[in-house]
Amino acid sequence: MSTSARFRDRRVHLERRATASKAVRTSLVSLAGLIGGPVTNQSGEEVGRVVDVVARLYGVDSYPPVTGLILRIGRRRTFLPADALGKVNAGHVRLRTARVDLRDFARRPGEVLLAKDVLDHQLVDVDGVQVTRAADLYLAPLVDQVVLVGVDVSLPTLLRRLGPRRWQTRPTPERVLDWQAVAPFAEQATEGPPEVRLRASRAALHRLRPADLADILEDLGRTERQQLLGWLEPEQAADALEEMEPAELENLLREAQPEHAARLIDEMEPDEATDALRDLTREEREALLARMPKGGAAELRRLLAHREDTAGGAMTTLLITTRRDETVAEVRGRLAEQAEHRTEIDAVAVVDGEDRLLCDIALFDLAVAEDTTPIADLVAWRAQFGPPDTVQADTSLAEAADQLVAARASSLLVVDDTDRPIGRILADDLLDAMLPERGRMHFRRFLQ
Amino acid sequence: MTRDLDTATTAAPETPAPARRTGWRRITMIAAIAGPGLVAANAGNDAAGIATYASAGSQFTYGTLFFMVLVTVALVMVQEMAVRLGAHTGKGLGALIREQFSLRLTALAVFCLLLANTGLVVSEFAGIGAAFELVGVPKWAVIPPAAILLWALVLFGSYHWAERIFLIMSLAFFAYPVAMILGHPDWGAVGHHLVVPHIEPSKSFILLAVALIGTTVSPYMQFYAAAGVVDRGAKPDDYPLIRADAILGAVFACVISLTIIIATASAIGGSGPLDSAAQAAEALKPVAGQNAELLFALGLIGASALAGAVVPLSASYAVGEAAGVERSVSRSFRDAPLFLGLFTAQIVLGATVAMTPVDVIQLLIGTQVLQGLISPVVLVYLLVLTNRRSVLGEAANSPRYRLAATAVVIGVAAMSTILLVQTILSWFGLA
Repeated sequence: MSTSARFRDRRVHLERRATASKAVRTSLVSLAGLIGGPVTNQSGEEVGRVVDVVARLYGVDSYPPVTGLILRIGRRRTFLPADALGKVNAGHVRLRTARVDLRDFARRPGEVLLAKDVLDHQLVDVDGVQVTRAADLYLAPLVDQVVLVGVDVSLPTLLRRLGPRRWQTRPTPERVLDWQAVAPFAEQATEGPPEVRLRASRAALHRLRPADLADILEDLGRTERQQLLGWLEPEQAADALEEMEPAELENLLREAQPEHAARLIDEMEPDEATDALRDLTREEREALLARMPKGGAAELRRLLAHREDTAGGAMTTLLITTRRDETVAEVRGRLAEQAEHRTEIDAVAVVDGEDRLLCDIALFDLAVAEDTTPIADLVAWRAQFGPPDTVQADTSLAEAADQLVAARASSLLVVDDTDRPIGRILADDLLDAMLPERGRMHFRRFLQ
Repeated sequence: MTRDLDTATTAAPETPAPARRTGWRRITMIAAIAGPGLVAANAGNDAAGIATYASAGSQFTYGTLFFMVLVTVALVMVQEMAVRLGAHTGKGLGALIREQFSLRLTALAVFCLLLANTGLVVSEFAGIGAAFELVGVPKWAVIPPAAILLWALVLFGSYHWAERIFLIMSLAFFAYPVAMILGHPDWGAVGHHLVVPHIEPSKSFILLAVALIGTTVSPYMQFYAAAGVVDRGAKPDDYPLIRADAILGAVFACVISLTIIIATASAIGGSGPLDSAAQAAEALKPVAGQNAELLFALGLIGASALAGAVVPLSASYAVGEAAGVERSVSRSFRDAPLFLGLFTAQIVLGATVAMTPVDVIQLLIGTQVLQGLISPVVLVYLLVLTNRRSVLGEAANSPRYRLAATAVVIGVAAMSTILLVQTILSWFGLA
């Protein structure tokens, strides 16, 4: 292709893009620009000014429809239902009828005031996985209604809003998040009926990885954080909590309703739950344990009895044990049932009739063994490498680490005085406990 | 002292890792060592602060003591409100202002903060320059490398070690209380001036009074205290502890300021405004003798370097918070352009202005005047926010507290307005 042809193509391309973005720009209405703008009747006389836009945020619609405007007429504030709206332009609303039915505004379930509750407030950008603030909201006037389509989070938009009114009305869609990819918080909004609570964005929240969710929880304000926790399934929330900074987690558990906090603790892996409980005061800990199911609470109490810097304090009590007479296939079946705990399982302990430890078989060895092989064969084969490496519950973490390195394993069984396994200490927990908080240079350094 | 904060478990396995420390122990430890209140207040005793206090002592001897007592009360109340906001909402001041006021008002607050802080950064670099000039190194040879070093330390290096060294160096200023006692001030006069109001109707007195407010109640301290509380993850339950930390920190900082004023007053009182850092060092003679200048230089370098990094960072954090953009020094310029750009710009601007041949002490005091002018703006936001029940619920200001806080804000604003009017009148040759 010749150079001039390339240039021509490029020009056409740029023009097309400019046209497209202009089309988008002119079809969108900036909320920030609409606020304070005039509302005129059919004959073009000004009726009042826009104070806020009401939308049904928590409903079944994928894009929240505008249900009305709050107007300032003289010194009075009134509500104008959406069916009276004619055309919503940038910075200006024209009414459909000459006569308007004005009412006092009362929030209906699921409704929010877009300017007061959403604009400038925190929201979660589900695709970008971050907490951000709404710099502007864009409305799209459709044939029969106006819907909220996206959130602008760009800096130029913020600057535009600082400028004169002429700038404010003009949308500047720089970085616009689709409304579906956003989880907004609106403290004041009454929740809709429970069955429609899971909007698309909330469903999107459920796809987030626990670590990302933890980051988001850490960045949110106090009320927003509790709201987000309330939207998540307890299992998902618990996974996220396990990834949080201990100090943040400690706060979050304190702020939450005790019942909810107890539920979350119950869903967490026992070793993580123990760590979290350790950070609380005795009374707070008891308050949570008392609200938990008996079995779980008893287990956590047992774990809490160990000192935190010993193997007992860092171990998980989730153990998969087997007997010599089982086959590899049976053990694999048992492992499959425990798939949700995959991060906590590293090996399978073989015990005798009195629950004493015989052998510790790594998952790799199980993976490469034949289905029909009896566990006894594996035990006999492992015997050539000597007795299994174990530690006592009161072994210090540093010693446990030395032993782990010597054994070239990724976990060690913790046994009691009678050689019965009581837990397993995993390499990642050891790392967690032993690594100093590595100082990527955070502002926290100044603040803590 | 801060060494204990990060227990290197690899070296000493018996000490628990920071992550596994129990809550109470950690909170008391941090509160004892470096609670946000203490850090924020201590930051007030930086280069600019020392210059202002020393100038107050040299110019008006004990005359400003009663005023400092008032300023202490104001500082305690203001810091208390800031940490209360942080503890109860989990959000910083910048974020709260944006949520509760219009975007333009937010921009105003943040702009004021940036302006005042850039002034402060100038004074920190000027302080570093002045300290090196005391020991005979010209400032143009010191300020650019110092700026680059600080910038790089924060962005790429291990600032956390440097921070400790700076902290320890700034401990040199703790020699002032000793110097005060060794300087044998007129205790009767000190006591008198602490209790009995004293105001001189001269422009220089009012200028200095505003500077004292500015250096003691500086806007960035409120942003910093609130952010610190949020970042530490404090919650309403911790509030009594946090309040104690904020109040103790404020009182402690003010006591140090008072000792600086008294020490300077008894050493060089009545000699007019300070015109060199060497004069401010004079007051340390009773402690360090001929080495007073060296001791002072050491303290000045430490305090200035510490604040030279903290101040621009805290402004960048406040702006980032208000704008809702990425803010972390561990991000790249592409990810957090606003945050890192602002930080860099403040350092560059601060160092450049500090290089110009300006009168350092006058510059330091001028910055404090600027801070004093901007404080009312931030204080009004703080007051309105803490009054709002929709923000703080039960923790909002009680009617009586509201009255007292309003009085404080009006008092600070009045001082600033007087100064402003006087300055403008003097432009037209009327004052």
